[in-house]
Amino acid sequence: MENETEKEPRIVGFLCKWCSYAGADLAGTSRKKYPANVTVVKVPCSGRIDPLFILKGLSLGFDGVLVSGCHPGDCHYQTGNYRARRRMALTKKFLEYMGIPAERVQASWVSASEGNKFAQVIADVVKDVKAIGPNNLFCAEGR
Amino acid sequence: MEKELRKQANRLLEEGTVDCIIGHAQGSLKFTTTPLITGDKTEISNLIISPFMHNNLANYLIRRHGKTGIVAKGCDSRSIVSLIQDKQVSRDAVVIIGVPCSGLVDMAKLESLTGKVRDQIEAVTVAGDKVSVKLNGKKKEYPARQVLFDHCLGCEFPTPQEYDCLIGEPVAAINDTELSSKKIADIKKMAPQDRWAFWQKQFSRCIRCYACREVCPACFCERCFAEESQPHWISPVPQWQDNLVFQVIRTIHVAGRCSDCGECERVCPQHIPLRLLSREMYDLIDEMFHYKSGMDKNAPPLMTAYEMVEAEGLIR
Repeated sequence: MENETEKEPRIVGFLCKWCSYAGADLAGTSRKKYPANVTVVKVPCSGRIDPLFILKGLSLGFDGVLVSGCHPGDCHYQTGNYRARRRMALTKKFLEYMGIPAERVQASWVSASEGNKFAQVIADVVKDVKAIGPNNLFCAEGR
Repeated sequence: MEKELRKQANRLLEEGTVDCIIGHAQGSLKFTTTPLITGDKTEISNLIISPFMHNNLANYLIRRHGKTGIVAKGCDSRSIVSLIQDKQVSRDAVVIIGVPCSGLVDMAKLESLTGKVRDQIEAVTVAGDKVSVKLNGKKKEYPARQVLFDHCLGCEFPTPQEYDCLIGEPVAAINDTELSSKKIADIKKMAPQDRWAFWQKQFSRCIRCYACREVCPACFCERCFAEESQPHWISPVPQWQDNLVFQVIRTIHVAGRCSDCGECERVCPQHIPLRLLSREMYDLIDEMFHYKSGMDKNAPPLMTAYEMVEAEGLIR
């Protein structure tokens, strides 16, 4: 049994307070089922997310990191998610170059009305991360 | 050229256009230079132009008050423009004395090529794609690519892009990225876990002296995340995990400001190939956003700009 739970990947999700966090709330209140692997961190805007958060998550041993914000054009602060998009795109590519599998760093747009999409995104991310196995990147002997 | 440089610097100080000149002076060792920051006209005669003026002087403009005259090579001028874009320096507060640069000599390469140490070499001059070295009274020529720094070989803009006066004539770019791109291509060929192992090995040597950060004109934060204690992002103890996080994040943080001047790699006492990171970032930005740092002082900084549609397919 204990082995079973150990295999479950742990995901840290940075969700923007205006869209994705509300989307996650909606998924909950409408009783959507999605894997309980995600630890949510509420951020004021996806533009608040520093690539440092992502690496910190991975170095703490999370198996995957999800960054989620408002759809382009819907940012509460007008342009926060456009900036986040640039930053995420660059970070994803660069971390791949370092040797971190692309599946570990994911991004999505989920609006406050997309409870279904949120459940789906989490299911997909968990599936992806499960497929590549646990994160041993920052273990003493590396991977 | 030095004469012209000194004349210009003297004039700027005399007219009172600037209250300080930042340039290069002969260093304490042969074939080294040291930054010269002075408002004293008598010191102007120490200004030199040499293939060893390694320092990216743009670094000394950060948090400077008053009007400054600065000697700038191609890469320095791009760093200055980046600082202007990021509103760290006002264009009106600097007088850029542009110096076209035909590449900087990597002493380590030269020493291993000639088999002589620094003090046995008499003179070094760079002309076009040849570097002539004087040894035992005899002149010997080497192809530039054997002697210059990798980043100088890959330099696209050796002539300053932004200047108030230019000393000498513009020089043509060598633009030979082969050496740099080969090293990067070799890394890309590795499997992800081998790549990670490679970086682990490199960063286990890091002693976290922060020389890379201190020398970098793109690293102008007053407080660095590396020293934040609330939250405590990375441990100050040099372990490879934290060293790697530090350098990767530093590379991402300076994205769009880094002009690939290669100073971080040059000053690294542990010879960690940091340009494998910065050059890859530089190329990535060019490929994804068609942006080159420090080319247009009126352009918004890379990371604050956006297009309506970009980075397609990376986000769910």
